[in-house]
Amino acid sequence: MFKLIFIKELKEIIQSSRFTISFAVCSVLIILSFFMGAQNYLASQAQYEAAVQENRKQIAANTEWIMVNHSIMLPPQPLMALVNGISNDIGRNIEMSGRGELRADNTRFNDEPIFAVFRFMDLEFIFGIVLSLFAIIFAYDAINGEKVGGTLKLCFANSVSRASFIGGKLAGSFVGLSIALLIPMLIGCTLLPVLGVQLTSDEWIRLGIILASGLAYFGLFLALAIGISAMTNRPSNSFLIGLVFWIFAVLIVPRASVLISGRMIDVPNVDDITSQKNRYRTQLFEEDRPKMSSFKPEGTDPQNVMQQFSSYMRELSSKRQEKIDAFTERINEDYENKRREQEKLALNLSRVSPASVFTLASTELAGTSLKLQNRFMDSATDYQNVYGNFMQEKTGENQGGGFRMIMITTDDQEEPEYLDPNEMPRFEYKPVSASMATASSMTDLGLLILFNLLFFGGAFAAFLKYDLR
Amino acid sequence: MDDQHNETIKQAPLLEARNLTKVYEDGVKALDNLQLKVHPGEIFAMLGGNGAGKTTTINIFLDFIQPTSGNAFINGVDVNKDPLEAKKNVAFVSENVQLYPNFTAIQNVDFFVRLGGKSNYKRNDYEAALLRVGLQREAFDKKLKDFSKGMRQKCGIAIAILKDAPAILLDEPTSGLDPKAGKEFTRLVGELRDEGKAILMSTHDIFRAKEIADHVGILNAGVLVAQKTYNELKGVNLENLYVEYMAGYMEEATGSLINSLAE
Ligand SMILES: Nc1ncnc2c1ncn2[C@@H]1O[C@H](COP(=O)(O)OP(=O)(O)O)[C@@H](O)[C@H]1O
Ligand SMILES: [Mg+2]
Repeated sequence: MFKLIFIKELKEIIQSSRFTISFAVCSVLIILSFFMGAQNYLASQAQYEAAVQENRKQIAANTEWIMVNHSIMLPPQPLMALVNGISNDIGRNIEMSGRGELRADNTRFNDEPIFAVFRFMDLEFIFGIVLSLFAIIFAYDAINGEKVGGTLKLCFANSVSRASFIGGKLAGSFVGLSIALLIPMLIGCTLLPVLGVQLTSDEWIRLGIILASGLAYFGLFLALAIGISAMTNRPSNSFLIGLVFWIFAVLIVPRASVLISGRMIDVPNVDDITSQKNRYRTQLFEEDRPKMSSFKPEGTDPQNVMQQFSSYMRELSSKRQEKIDAFTERINEDYENKRREQEKLALNLSRVSPASVFTLASTELAGTSLKLQNRFMDSATDYQNVYGNFMQEKTGENQGGGFRMIMITTDDQEEPEYLDPNEMPRFEYKPVSASMATASSMTDLGLLILFNLLFFGGAFAAFLKYDLR
Repeated sequence: MDDQHNETIKQAPLLEARNLTKVYEDGVKALDNLQLKVHPGEIFAMLGGNGAGKTTTINIFLDFIQPTSGNAFINGVDVNKDPLEAKKNVAFVSENVQLYPNFTAIQNVDFFVRLGGKSNYKRNDYEAALLRVGLQREAFDKKLKDFSKGMRQKCGIAIAILKDAPAILLDEPTSGLDPKAGKEFTRLVGELRDEGKAILMSTHDIFRAKEIADHVGILNAGVLVAQKTYNELKGVNLENLYVEYMAGYMEEATGSLINSLAE
């Protein structure tokens, strides 16, 4: 019986015009999101290459390392283009300095503000918003439609158990629609290398898990819609209930959870902290001012005096910096703790919505979750050490930001020697590995499975009690 | 045909209602201590107006609702106790047969017949059954959404024929059919009876009932107020009898009268 109903469900899906239309729309959207993701990636890759070249040219045009303004960029990743996450919102450029705090600036939206308004149509959007809605549109009348249509009675005039009927129905619609969605997904995947986007095997695995979790997400909305249709008598009612649930899950809960956690945990705002830091900096500088003016050089050779002054100032400055660093660390730590607490609460609250769970899982897997920013900054800080040592070696000093004293000697007449950009240590951004990404998305992948069990089980249980007349 | 069905049939009843009472949640007493038996080769017509309790009876036989008290048996199996076993022995045609609109006639018949437990049929068998019930060959591979009510009823009876269950439940199967289709349908039901099926048919059409039924039960507000055999009905003016018992349902009676005269 199960098999018979399963196959009937498959056939019914394939022969319905509702399927034809939604299949066409979904296919176009999915393939389009792969296509645009690929285009996006290629464009940012080109932009990135150009910026790197520009940086090298700038180095090559210089004769002194001390004159070099070096900046590093977050290299674009194919999965970033497919599942944007926060990748468009964070600064991709970091002006390098040998020590001190690093700041990332120049977000994608700086260049193309229009996208900040309308956002991109990435895979996460297609699944999160469009497919979940399609699941509801598809299945809202799965059961009560058969009741209103009269086929339910005719089915159960036979020796058919409710369990095999609902089982066949759930399995049939899930398998049928999943296969239908898999087709454009596979086309999208083959499109990537064709368009010139090469993925590493690690990235393929991550993409595979993203697509699988997308299907799981679609499945839970499907089961939900079937469940609602097995608890109501009229399709118009189940559609309305499904839609309300969808609005809450997709649009309200994620935003509300951020709001609520903001109310529940107070975090000092960034401006406050910055001005606190600045005040401290000024205070220290003021304290040092008498020391600066009391500088007494030994000897009168201007070059010697200059050097003495320079190192004296450096010493003061580095002592100040130490204090500032300690202060900043303390205040940052406090801020970070609070902020993390708030963030964690918001994320956990949002997880009551399967839509948030999917967003969290897919961005984690794509490497574009909130962690992206930390990962980029960590890579940059690692690089900062290498860069600082390199500059120390080349210039004899480790420049922080701000005060810099340069003396250009014009004594020797030899042709100035230009710098070799290859000497500059390369910045390597370490993207998440598949195992890391899977490990950190475990909770959310598990929740997706749990939601599926819950909704499939719920639909099943609801039908066992359904009035068949 | 007449004499063939006079003798009382001594076999065990295939359909039996024993003290069936149904009180709905809202307190409406739809059935009151209903007793009826349908033997193989018999047509039992439940005659009654709207709200008499005909559909309620059939719904109990199909386990769609539970009786408040009493039992329904199909081939000796208590429907409430073992519905899956009981329903192996019954086919059902509703007042308004509805099939899957995106399936063709053949696809629908195939699905429902398999659901009925018959999986050895070939397309030929489906075609033969559909031709027998009078569906045009051109319609076999058309989607059901383009079918008229008459065509759907034909598919419904074809499914019941193919399921080949010993008992058949028909809930006002001819209501809403044009006279020609109604007559055609009645002829088919007669054929099935002659093949030995036990048929419980509800109707509010007294003439149809008199025409083919071996037993007629008049149901009024859930109570079986009269039960007559074909022979007993021979000399009786069923109209009068009906009106006598069903004072409140005159409209239906005259309605079907006009209907029958039109034939
Ligand atoms: N689900 C229900 N809940 C409450 N009352 C019902 C329900 N179904 C039917 N009834 C009532 O039970 C009575 C018998 O209904 P029904 O068996 O459908 O009559 P018939 O099929 O003979 O027209 C009617 O009075 C009807 O209003
Ligand atoms: Mg009825």
